[in-house]
Amino acid sequence: MSMSSRLSWFINRFLRPAFGRAYVRIKGGNREPSWILWEILLPLIMITSVIWAYENMGAPEFFKGFVIIGGAMMSYWYNVLWGMGRTLYWEKETGNLEVFLLSDAPLPSLLLGMALGGMFNTTLRSIAVIILGVVVFKAEFNVDYLPLAILIFILTLVALYGVGLALSGLHIVYGRMGVRINELLDEPIMFLSGQYYPISTFPMALQYIAGLIPLAIGLDGVRRALLFSEGIDVLWLHLLILFILMIVFYPLGLRILNKIVERGRKDGRLILRWI
Amino acid sequence: MAMQTTIETRDLVRIFKHGDEEFRALDKVSIEVPEGVIYGLLGPNGAGKTTLIRILTTLLLPSDGDAYVGGYHVVREANKVRKIINLVSGGERPGYGILTVRENLMYYGQVYGLSWRETKKRIEEINELLHLDEFLDKRLNSISTGMMQKYALARGLLNHPQILFLDEPTLGLDVQNARHIRRVIKHLIEDKEIRTILLTSHYMAEVEELCDIVSIIDRGRIIATGSPDELRRLVKDEIIYNIDVRLSDIDRIRILRRFSSVVGYTVKTRQLTGEARIRMILTGEDIARIIRTLEEENIHVLRVSRDEVSLEDVFLRLVGRGLEDEYE
Repeated sequence: MSMSSRLSWFINRFLRPAFGRAYVRIKGGNREPSWILWEILLPLIMITSVIWAYENMGAPEFFKGFVIIGGAMMSYWYNVLWGMGRTLYWEKETGNLEVFLLSDAPLPSLLLGMALGGMFNTTLRSIAVIILGVVVFKAEFNVDYLPLAILIFILTLVALYGVGLALSGLHIVYGRMGVRINELLDEPIMFLSGQYYPISTFPMALQYIAGLIPLAIGLDGVRRALLFSEGIDVLWLHLLILFILMIVFYPLGLRILNKIVERGRKDGRLILRWI
Repeated sequence: MAMQTTIETRDLVRIFKHGDEEFRALDKVSIEVPEGVIYGLLGPNGAGKTTLIRILTTLLLPSDGDAYVGGYHVVREANKVRKIINLVSGGERPGYGILTVRENLMYYGQVYGLSWRETKKRIEEINELLHLDEFLDKRLNSISTGMMQKYALARGLLNHPQILFLDEPTLGLDVQNARHIRRVIKHLIEDKEIRTILLTSHYMAEVEELCDIVSIIDRGRIIATGSPDELRRLVKDEIIYNIDVRLSDIDRIRILRRFSSVVGYTVKTRQLTGEARIRMILTGEDIARIIRTLEEENIHVLRVSRDEVSLEDVFLRLVGRGLEDEYE
């Protein structure tokens, strides 16, 4: 296949279906205005309560920034857990996966569309969290390091997308029990990623385990850049680890998903409902 | 000139396993579908029709045997098959309820690789064919079953498929909507919008009206294949009678099994009128004796009439039970 036909395939058969699925998510997700309450206002209550707790304990000012960045970035993990993993299962249950599989579009493009569509609302939530932090709680960030923070953030998202590919496959295998996988990954990942505190407070063994979680590395890197003004000379290791996690998780996730889809076509699991 | 074969299966087998149990959904199924026809698979629920269609549309792998669609192998060249086909299943409701019918179709257009503009144009073309105006901008979760089926068909036409698979396309529709869908299906082939259609149904009238070639399938096996006329000729030596009796007498009609001349019979009840119709295949002019015996058993015979052979009779003749009878 020539370079131009590869590019044409990528645009028409990968990006276009991804765009289509993101369109469904964004259009559907924002059709009822009540989403503002669920997606934006309610999560702010938790963030506010943690910041108040730190204020009352007399914690250093930068802890507010920890909570704000943690609250903003953790939403993307939920997006991977529920927006990619669980949604693929529901696509199967509603017959949408079957229709998608009838086309020659690759399944990862559907998952990318789900992730991107979910990220739209997640980003709105994150922006609301940051505005709350800056305007109400006077949290301070060094915006000079914003480009580096964005780079770390993007690498984190790509690595998480790889995890989402594998997760969505597991949801197909385990069906209704898949919800337990999410629960298993929900609280422990929140704990290990240091949503509201620095992971340097962990014992060393736990820090090593946290180092395998893209979200933990990403969170730590973004916080160091924006709160402690650390540059690439300090954060190169974060970038390297995220890059390695990205090139490991993406092909691994893809392989797991492909294996599961192939198995699903063999045993009928891809089209059987309520299992 | 011989017509080109566009769908072909050779000794196709599909086994489903559940623990130690095995269920053979398809048992050495071989069919050949020429281009330019509507090919029908007629069989009761659970006969293997949907399993066959799912293998042909690459959603399911066969356990054994080979299948080709448009000249491509459904396992080894699945992506090439997917480019030239589409599937519409009756009773299925794929889509997103919160989006309108148009928005759903826009989404599927992207999935099939059409640009935004091409999809809009295609929706307008399909709208002319299917008359979707009335509900195109309504949310999917607010439209009726008939509209839903038209929407499903519209989705199936979006990618200009060469081969369209229709799995029970009029399932659950009222008479008027079913008639409209059948008219559209005919039109698709006559206008060469679609080159070949393979449809499954357990409605005899639908298959007789639409299909050029029919395969009768039962318990995973192809029992007979031919044009509706050819199949009807399989029952040319027998006579078909309809006997209307009171619904309350229906328990005693087993007596018909005593007659060696009765090849088989089916019973359809009509709750509203309190009657039941026995449709019977007879090998000889034994009807007077049968009526007399029924009356001796206090079965009140309301009407007796002769009828033309239908595909239902062919099924009964070949399989030994009616198309709508449940498995025992």
